Amino acid sequence: MIDEVDVNGLPTRSVSRRTFIKGVIAAGATASTAGTLFRASGGGLFAATALQGTAERLLTLNVNGQQRRVDVLPNETLAMTLRYKLGLTGTKLGCDRAECGACTVLVDGVNHYGCSILTHAVRGRSVTTVEGLQDPETGALSPVQQAVLEGGGFQCAFCAPGFLMSMTALVTSTPSFTRDEAASALSGNLCRCGDYNKILDCAMRAGELARSV
Amino acid sequence: MAEKLIGTDIAPPDLVAKITGRARYAEDFRADGMAFAKLLLSPMPHARVRRIDAERALSMPGVLGILTADDVPQRDAPAEQCLTNEPVYEGEPILAVAAVDEATAAEAVERIRVDLEPLPFVLDPLESLRPGGADAHVQGNVIVDREWKSLKWTAEEFASAEAAGRLPMGEPTSEWSHGDVDAAFAAADLIVEETIVHQSVTHHPMEPRSNMAFWQNGKLHIFASTQSTARTRAALASALELDLEDIVFVAEYCGGGFGSKISGSTVMQIPALLSRKIGRPVMHRVTRYEENYFGRARPGFQGWVKMGFRADGRMTALDLYLVEEGGAYGSGDFGTAGAVAHLTYTPENVRVRAVSVFTNTPPKAAQRGPGGAQIISMLEPIVDKGARQLGVDRLAIRSLNAPGSDVRFGPRLMGLTSVHAREALELGARTFGWDEKRMLSGRRNGTKVTGVGIGLSPYTAGSRGYDGLMVVRPDGKLHVHQGIGNLGTHSIADTARPAAELLGLSWDQVEIHWGDTSLGVPRSSNQAGSQTTHAHTRANHAAAEDAKRKIQEVAARTLGGAPGDYVLDGGRVFRRGSRGSGMSFADVARRAIELGGHFDGHELPDDIHAETVTAASKVAGQGLVGVAKDNYGGDGAGVYSWVVGFAVVELDTETGVVEVVDYTGATDCGTVIHPRSLGAQVLGGSIQGMGMAMTQRWVFDPKWGVPFAKRLYTARPPGMLDVPLNAQWAAVGIPDPTTPVGAKGIGEPPVGAGAAAITCAVADALGGRCLCRTPLTPDIILTELEGLRKPYSPTATHIG
Amino acid sequence: MATIRDMMPAFELFQPATVEDAVALLAEHGREAWALAGGLDSMDWFKDRIKRPRVVIDLGGIPDLTGIQERGEGLDIGAMTSLSAVAADERVRSRFQLLADAASQVATPQIRNQGTLGGNVSQDTRCWYYRSGWPCYRAGGNTCYASAPQAMNREHCILGASRCVAVNPSDTAPALVALDATMDVRNRRGTRTVAAEDYFVGPAIDITRMTALKPGDLLTSIRVPADWAGARFYFEKVRDRGSWDFALVTVAAAFRTAGGRIDQARVVVNGVAAYPVRLHDVERLVTGAPASEETAQAAGDLAVQGARPLKYNGYKLALMRNLVRRAVRSAA
Repeated sequence: MIDEVDVNGLPTRSVSRRTFIKGVIAAGATASTAGTLFRASGGGLFAATALQGTAERLLTLNVNGQQRRVDVLPNETLAMTLRYKLGLTGTKLGCDRAECGACTVLVDGVNHYGCSILTHAVRGRSVTTVEGLQDPETGALSPVQQAVLEGGGFQCAFCAPGFLMSMTALVTSTPSFTRDEAASALSGNLCRCGDYNKILDCAMRAGELARSV
Repeated sequence: MAEKLIGTDIAPPDLVAKITGRARYAEDFRADGMAFAKLLLSPMPHARVRRIDAERALSMPGVLGILTADDVPQRDAPAEQCLTNEPVYEGEPILAVAAVDEATAAEAVERIRVDLEPLPFVLDPLESLRPGGADAHVQGNVIVDREWKSLKWTAEEFASAEAAGRLPMGEPTSEWSHGDVDAAFAAADLIVEETIVHQSVTHHPMEPRSNMAFWQNGKLHIFASTQSTARTRAALASALELDLEDIVFVAEYCGGGFGSKISGSTVMQIPALLSRKIGRPVMHRVTRYEENYFGRARPGFQGWVKMGFRADGRMTALDLYLVEEGGAYGSGDFGTAGAVAHLTYTPENVRVRAVSVFTNTPPKAAQRGPGGAQIISMLEPIVDKGARQLGVDRLAIRSLNAPGSDVRFGPRLMGLTSVHAREALELGARTFGWDEKRMLSGRRNGTKVTGVGIGLSPYTAGSRGYDGLMVVRPDGKLHVHQGIGNLGTHSIADTARPAAELLGLSWDQVEIHWGDTSLGVPRSSNQAGSQTTHAHTRANHAAAEDAKRKIQEVAARTLGGAPGDYVLDGGRVFRRGSRGSGMSFADVARRAIELGGHFDGHELPDDIHAETVTAASKVAGQGLVGVAKDNYGGDGAGVYSWVVGFAVVELDTETGVVEVVDYTGATDCGTVIHPRSLGAQVLGGSIQGMGMAMTQRWVFDPKWGVPFAKRLYTARPPGMLDVPLNAQWAAVGIPDPTTPVGAKGIGEPPVGAGAAAITCAVADALGGRCLCRTPLTPDIILTELEGLRKPYSPTATHIG
Repeated sequence: MATIRDMMPAFELFQPATVEDAVALLAEHGREAWALAGGLDSMDWFKDRIKRPRVVIDLGGIPDLTGIQERGEGLDIGAMTSLSAVAADERVRSRFQLLADAASQVATPQIRNQGTLGGNVSQDTRCWYYRSGWPCYRAGGNTCYASAPQAMNREHCILGASRCVAVNPSDTAPALVALDATMDVRNRRGTRTVAAEDYFVGPAIDITRMTALKPGDLLTSIRVPADWAGARFYFEKVRDRGSWDFALVTVAAAFRTAGGRIDQARVVVNGVAAYPVRLHDVERLVTGAPASEETAQAAGDLAVQGARPLKYNGYKLALMRNLVRRAVRSAA
């Protein structure tokens, strides 16, 4: 799903229009009914912060297996789109700087920091969040969720959605792994409660459950 | 038979919500028309606001309003306002702007001009105590007897100490002693003396203290991140001068507090006040950058210690001097630090002197084991130094000096309910394999050398006198109302288990209600000091006893006989021996509603807290109400739990890198309620301690007075690759005889244990050289190993 | 005056699909344009509201910039190839393990999945004064805060200081210098090839930039020649934390040995200067010498000659010396 758009207003003639994808068109509109950068809902004035002469652009995103139409500003991160425009607040923001991992989501099955990837960069790619781990038909927990439930994983659990996504990337990409390998695979996620031993226990169990599926 | 609930692993009831993304933390709530707030933070460590020019901001489309220090409840320092006209640290909030979206709010803040008059600042307590040193507040640098004072030591005191390479020790503001330390040192077989530095470390919970607020029908609805639900509402009501019932406080989940969210946060007031001003809901997403500034930190210490030992290792004298970095709004960790040191080694002769100095660094607060964790991590390797010189085994010296249940310690010689430190040492040694692993000490493998360490750490673990509230509803279930918050310890569920067990229920017959004051939540502890397990198993036990009495009474009134004829099991009440007869709890609940009065909560005991009265009035008539104050008594004796940590480290002598390869934590915390969760507390707390000792740091530029290391990658909380991944834990499990369930708290003591096991193991790997400072980063260790000239003085802190 | 963070200022976003379009856009917008690779370093700057490009050119949609092609025994690695892909590539691992090791020690899995080789070698320094937006030399001002007498500089340079004392934070940069890699740089005028050693520049050459890239330039490909395929390699990164940390000091080395003697050597350290430092003198010293402890000691001592520590980073001198020793020892 790629929104190929006109190069309306493109300032150079030297660029090939055919191959050019400009995520955000320049347009005359200065007002929009869409949510601007992290306006939650409802009316209010249009944010004057966007560059004069630009407006947001409707995108179609594939999130948790569904096509979602959404207005996205050029400088909007995936975590913010998910949390403030798609109502998917399971993805947490712990640092917003690609340092803590609470915002981890899967893009085409690979774990990424949702806080540090532009939403415009995931057009045409499938995004999975913690809300998308359960079986959409049966509601059954995924092997990773099941393992965490069995293992009583996490304390404050603010890091849990991010860890669950990194675990999911691990168990789906690697048929079998050692405890050390699991630790490396999960080393991009912080847990300030220090529950690392139990989280690793859950990861190992998740591997077993995934293999038995 | 009802299942046994105490001592089994039962997943907390919120776990599915946590792993499916449905758990709502403060920033996950939304309201129609929600505006966003952004703060303007002080760019200077100490200044006075002369003028604020916000015209260019307020005229921007989308800007909804501004809140300044003039609009918020006024407090005199050292009380803290949520916005200030005299910032006393870089990053202190000066004003807040609300706008339709965050981008607009941010741009508006950038357009505001604040005219600031720079004031003298000081980062290092010792610099403030120097003659002519700056005071962090215009009023002074210390508070003595509730009065500000500008305390300065003499130039001679500094000169002589610096010449000797030890802590200057002028006039303290706090002092207590027992026995005669000077005489004891004169008689000691060995004296060990060190100057010590423990850094200040930020809490950095995973969830920043974001919150959202709106007003509806005169009531404030606020969604926040906090440790105790009930107590935070009370604190906020007091701060905003509102009636308790005018606040609907929602805090279903808390993404970590570790002491930094006791009674919530000062910044919690900002959306509440802004929302009232602009007439719209306001969300304040606190950023990690802001969290670094006002998210609190553990105070650091610059200290000096002298220990006297008898030849067999018994500590006969302890002399401790602590200079505490009080930060912008003061701190008192030195109090617990001194008491914990006295408790751990029980010297007959002890003197503790301290001064807590205000500095222009971000505010300090309790951090998991405040005072205790720092002092244990610093003193344990010095005890090892004594043991080494005396030729005493390091496990033995701790057992020898550890107290028994008859201990008296601290300035007022407080007693404790139970102490099983020696049992914890023995259990830990067995689980860890001390006898074999101590032989690894000093073993070399290429450039790596092995070190082994033990850290013994006590901390407060209980309190008394809170209320329990629960309802047996016509659905036949026990509904336990919890005023405590849900900060990841699973205590919202685990402290309800004694109630369920007492009433003969299985766990699926219990529902927990928490995190929303509109549900009716009883007065709670403030969930500091590891009180929760102890305090609230007691409170819930008391309320369950009340419920049980009422259930028996209802049965007797309905079915005849005396209440004492009736027993409870499986959700039924019946005459002893005739299980098939009797009443279901559902019937009991309906009958209680018919009977009214005290049965359904319309009449309440007169000793419960006013907050609990209000909460009970919300549930009155819903069923059979159990409500009671914890009157089990025991006041006067303190409650302490213990954790002993055992660690093996490998230290690379060419790089200074330390790897923790093995760890065991063993605890005395009374009865074990939830083994898996207890293990997570023991190991998780230990890991926080390891981070404190090894990786975490804060760095300040002394010329400009501002912190660096304010990102996570520079503040360096430990990640998965920095900690032992096959750690073990064990619990002594001896019930505390003074509390009905026998359980004591556990949150805090592991921090000192984990930290001290590391500081001891590193000193062991260095052949017994105690560096006597934290953090033990590769640069510090390599500087020692290479014999390089140290670029820092023995008392320097916040370096990097 | 007010510092406000964590809200990216607005920019215009372009997502070209070809290198030609990207280069044309860079030319058109000149200094107002910002080329976005993985975006991790970039977004930090944006969120700090310190760098505020008017135009951001997202390179993520250009297929030609991604992937690894063989050129004989050598490899051409597209600048937008992710660090994970570099670390996992069988050809990289079998021929140039040094680069795989370096790529696999960058930050965290998530960052390696998104971060690119081109971005990793082109990232800006992490000097905390500079990154805090202070008006230092590197930011166009006229002072260096990090070298002031009381400044906090444990993570700053011991070599190559010239007014600025920042260090290069890249893990892959020293590996690529050791492998004699070259960088293909495109601009509107054409393509030029820059040796890796010249790609990284110190403050004496250009105090505001870490690389030879000028406005309008686009790094398109990193070419690793066959020369060092299958050699003996040594890579070690010393850091405070096991993940998400920049190196205090890194060593990347390549050796060809025969009969216990070092025939050819490349020894490069990073974290000690604003650019990865290739130790030519050390290479000369060890070439032809036995891979012995004695050679290792001599190499380490020579490596740090001329190093000038700041107040808090004297340990780096010892660390660099020890890491060079280890690298030479590994050739035995």
